[in-house]
Amino acid sequence: MKDYAGPIELSLRINGETRRVQARPGDSLLRLLRERLGLTGTKCGCENGDCGACTVLVDGAPIKSCMALAVECEGSDILTIEGLRGHPVQKAFAVENGFQCGFCTPGMILNAVALLSAHPEEDEEADREWMQSNICRCTGYEGIRLALASARRSLKD
Amino acid sequence: MKRNPDSIVNVLGKTLYVDDLPENAGMLHGAVVLSPSAHGRYSGLDESKALALDPSVRVLVAKDVPGQNQLGSAVLDEALLAEGDWHYHGQVLALVLASSRVLARRAAARVQILGREDLPAVTDPREAFKRGDIILSPRTQRMGDPEAAYKDCALVLEGRVESGGQEHVYLETQGAIAWPEDSGGARVISGTQSPAATQKIVARVLGVPMNRVEIETRRLGGAFGGKEDQANGWAALAALGAVKSGKPVKVYLNRRDDMLATGKRHPYSSDFKIGLSADGMILAFEADYYQNAGAACDLSPAILPRTLFHAAGAYRVPNVRVTGTMCRTNLVPFTAFRGFGGPQGLFVMESAIEQAAAVLGMDPVEIQRKNLLKTGDSFHYGQDVEDARAEATVTRCLQKARYETLRAEITAFNAAHKDLKRGAAAFPLCFGISFTKIMMNQGGSLVHVYNDGSVSVATGAIEMGQGVGRKIAIVSASTLGAPLASIRIDSTRTSTVANTMPTAASTGADINVMAAKVACDEIRKRLIGVAAARLGVEPSAVALEAGRVYLNAGAAATGSEARRDAGLSFADLVNLAYEQRVDLSAHGFYATPGLHFDMKSEKGHPFLYHVYGCAVISATVDTLRGSYQFDDAFIVHDIANSIDPIVDMGQIEGGFAQGLGWAALEELKFDDKGLLVSNTLSTYKLPDAHFMPRMDVEFYDKPNPTVVANSKAVGEPPLMYGIAGYFAVLDALKAAKPGKKGFYDLPMTPEKALRFLADDEPKEQGS
Repeated sequence: MKDYAGPIELSLRINGETRRVQARPGDSLLRLLRERLGLTGTKCGCENGDCGACTVLVDGAPIKSCMALAVECEGSDILTIEGLRGHPVQKAFAVENGFQCGFCTPGMILNAVALLSAHPEEDEEADREWMQSNICRCTGYEGIRLALASARRSLKD
Repeated sequence: MKRNPDSIVNVLGKTLYVDDLPENAGMLHGAVVLSPSAHGRYSGLDESKALALDPSVRVLVAKDVPGQNQLGSAVLDEALLAEGDWHYHGQVLALVLASSRVLARRAAARVQILGREDLPAVTDPREAFKRGDIILSPRTQRMGDPEAAYKDCALVLEGRVESGGQEHVYLETQGAIAWPEDSGGARVISGTQSPAATQKIVARVLGVPMNRVEIETRRLGGAFGGKEDQANGWAALAALGAVKSGKPVKVYLNRRDDMLATGKRHPYSSDFKIGLSADGMILAFEADYYQNAGAACDLSPAILPRTLFHAAGAYRVPNVRVTGTMCRTNLVPFTAFRGFGGPQGLFVMESAIEQAAAVLGMDPVEIQRKNLLKTGDSFHYGQDVEDARAEATVTRCLQKARYETLRAEITAFNAAHKDLKRGAAAFPLCFGISFTKIMMNQGGSLVHVYNDGSVSVATGAIEMGQGVGRKIAIVSASTLGAPLASIRIDSTRTSTVANTMPTAASTGADINVMAAKVACDEIRKRLIGVAAARLGVEPSAVALEAGRVYLNAGAAATGSEARRDAGLSFADLVNLAYEQRVDLSAHGFYATPGLHFDMKSEKGHPFLYHVYGCAVISATVDTLRGSYQFDDAFIVHDIANSIDPIVDMGQIEGGFAQGLGWAALEELKFDDKGLLVSNTLSTYKLPDAHFMPRMDVEFYDKPNPTVVANSKAVGEPPLMYGIAGYFAVLDALKAAKPGKKGFYDLPMTPEKALRFLADDEPKEQGS
């Protein structure tokens, strides 16, 4: 691939671990995670920033990783579904049937983690606004709504 | 409720979908070259620029297919790879292989089409019909004599109804990975709803018998009908690539290619004629459905009769004549989608009722209620109405929604507001369950009990989020008397269970749960025999439940000596049977009984049972902008005895969301040359968290004795509740424009709403 600029070495913190990785200038963060680091928990749904399946947290903010260049994330702290390890939001999604096919779930959960840290108090309208960046084709969002409520309760306890 | 281990795997992000499986060294990635217009000819492809990109690049075209270059099943009219012409925008011209995904895509973009000549494209099914370009023959179902009945009608109305197509938008796009086998065949992991059908097509393309092709399907990231026949091509391309290159090949579509190249829900254009008495009894109904089948037959011949079967909806109509025609156009071959032609037929009937109600000065709900099916009525296709639940569910739903009060509130609101208007509508559901093709109502299973007491259950069912695996596990555990945690549902493989049917038509649980139960019953019988011999009692005295063996099984019934634990666990008993050389595996088979249909007379008994239900939806329209929101949705759904209430509730809510999307929001758009305009998720709007109304769903739980566990299928029926959403918005629009005739052009987008409010006639579909 001679017409590509050569790989660049990056240093990132991924799920609490400092990683030195190679990326080409055109690589998205999503491709870096899935193809270079084998973190396939982050899903690719559209590569166009529309569906939210690839949402990860970059320095605590929900980012659609298909729309972020890997090189932009140099020095950043990145949290993927693999780094959550049994977070109350994950448990709530399992218990309240916050998913069906499960493909949107990792992105949905990471976006929900960010939502609950920004809005710890119950606020259904804020939830709807915040979560509309993530598409779920299976549930009709009712199970997700219940999961958010349940996660909020357990985070307060 | 405690969830199964699958759900834990899922929320941890550990589920392995097709693109998540570890890649073998040397694996090649496939990308497709798609046709650039809706209809055209070409003299060949120039591959030189693609090949120059990298030594790993290879381009495969039709002449590279060792077997038959053919995807069709009902009709052999769909090439896997184009041969000199194309018939829709997005048809596959070539498969490009390369060592990485990025490289394959870049190489595919460099393949040049030589001698391209665009040809006229037909996108309108009525135009195709006029040209005589139809697939197979039209079908007509009739009962009574509508022509004669119109004479007794106080009102006879005619109208035209359009309904748009719908993208499946399964979040996991189509894909497959194939490994070449030394037999000349291939092993394929495919995102298919129908591994046996995929196996057949792959074998045909490779030119080998089916026994040299194995298809395995793991959990799908959504399907909704879109991975029934439509999954076959990608598996066949991966297998072709693997056999030609001698390496594993992955073909995994990006979203744009998926939206361009794969089939969707059929758009329909229909005419109706309805006759009613002055008090709103429906006396006669006729309809002509022009199904836009797209450029190839695909599953259209199976979908069309479901439209006809559901023409009269949940209503008793004594005189019916309905005709459906598959019209061939230059659009992507339309295919299965949750509801399978049913929703399109039901929307026509509801449109006729809405229009009639306006003329008669009645609330459409009045007409709906007066005409509901009752036990003892006949469907127009000859089946008797048994165990009708229309009145019970409709009555309960109207009560739940406080319909009278809601009406009064809406009237008051509309009187008090100039720019905001509210509306409401009800939709009574009656949906037939069974594959309409009788031979498809069969399924198999293979159950292994391992000597540590763990159980593997394999069936033909595909888990795609609908919870079929969970239902099979629950029934298998209770049948075997094993703990639920000891059951593992295996991936679906053609070498494990052969000749399976697609997981479709809402029958996945009905058929596969039953097939698993047959095998589990057999193993249970053997285990009980072993336990009885060991305990020195008659087999009838032994019970196996939740992982324990009990004595005096009949104690509860006879009131004699109390039932007691025999001191044996399920695992102990299994090990005992193993030591005694008792077979711990069994195959099960189930064919749905009592189904028959005569295609000549169009009469018979095509459905095992029907699912009933009702939705009441209210909406508020901003009449300055045409935008609207759905306020509340009340649903009473005939679930019978739910095997897994949390799964069934999710199916109802999710199916309804998809139906509301189809009815109101999701606009599949082609331009006048047949190019797909809505080809990304930014131009195709889907229901999101903000779109959905408050939902209040109630189970109608009267048991259904026709199937195992007295349950009812749940996959497709709730989708059709979305139809009430269309009419709720129309009701609000008519409050803003009193006396104006309604329009029946689904989806009800804000653009169409605004056109209605602006006094323009709504634009015709397909323009």
